[in-house]
Amino acid sequence: MKINTARFGEIPVDESKIITMAGPILGFEQLDRFILIVPDEQKPFWWLQSVDDGAVAFVVANPFAMKPDYEPEIAGDVAHALGIERQEEAVVLCIVSIRKDPLKVTLNLRAPLVINAVTKRGGQIVLEDPGQPIQFDVTGVPKTAPEASIPVLPAGDPIRMLSVPPPL
Amino acid sequence: MLILTRKLGEAIVIGHDIKITFLEIRGKQIRVGIEAPRGLAVHREEVYRLIRDQNVEAARGSGMVLHRIPDIWEQLTGEGAKE
Repeated sequence: MKINTARFGEIPVDESKIITMAGPILGFEQLDRFILIVPDEQKPFWWLQSVDDGAVAFVVANPFAMKPDYEPEIAGDVAHALGIERQEEAVVLCIVSIRKDPLKVTLNLRAPLVINAVTKRGGQIVLEDPGQPIQFDVTGVPKTAPEASIPVLPAGDPIRMLSVPPPL
Repeated sequence: MLILTRKLGEAIVIGHDIKITFLEIRGKQIRVGIEAPRGLAVHREEVYRLIRDQNVEAARGSGMVLHRIPDIWEQLTGEGAKE
């Protein structure tokens, strides 16, 4: 199938790679189908593009590249609801907020997106730990080298879409 | 809004599979127990609002960068960034 998007124009979507947000992205409950677009494998910022609304896309990031000691505690019943039995099946991404002038980039560590890469079912999980910041500022913190920060996706990598048209 | 009065230990049932039990009152705090189907999210309202507002802001902010997000990473890591 093909979808029309605000950022990428018309793009082909491999239906087998569509992620279903069974636990909605809060505020976007009506949108439950997304695709993960990886513009550059060497960079840990990716796009989560809505399939149903071409205007909606989130910048998402691998939180472990920005905060190596990040340890989200995912409750057993949440993991169960997503069908996650082993840690390797779970892909954890955080939504990125970007403000310009001056550039400020924050990660929502309190409410990560957890996706079962096998079934491609996911959800936004609100962690119980109030110490996890909703706006973790990554503008000034040292990053791990991009080479070392590529998220480890499960074997076969069933969710990543690499086909991105050239920049506008 | 439907307003009910309950005693400690009493509960209300919403639909057929959600039950809220009032367990304890300590000063101005009330402890409630919530039984709901697995997969039905239960949030503290103020946390829910914060996350939702952050999501909306993130979606709006992403509109500014079009799809050149690798550039943002380069700015963050100092490759070509000017402090």
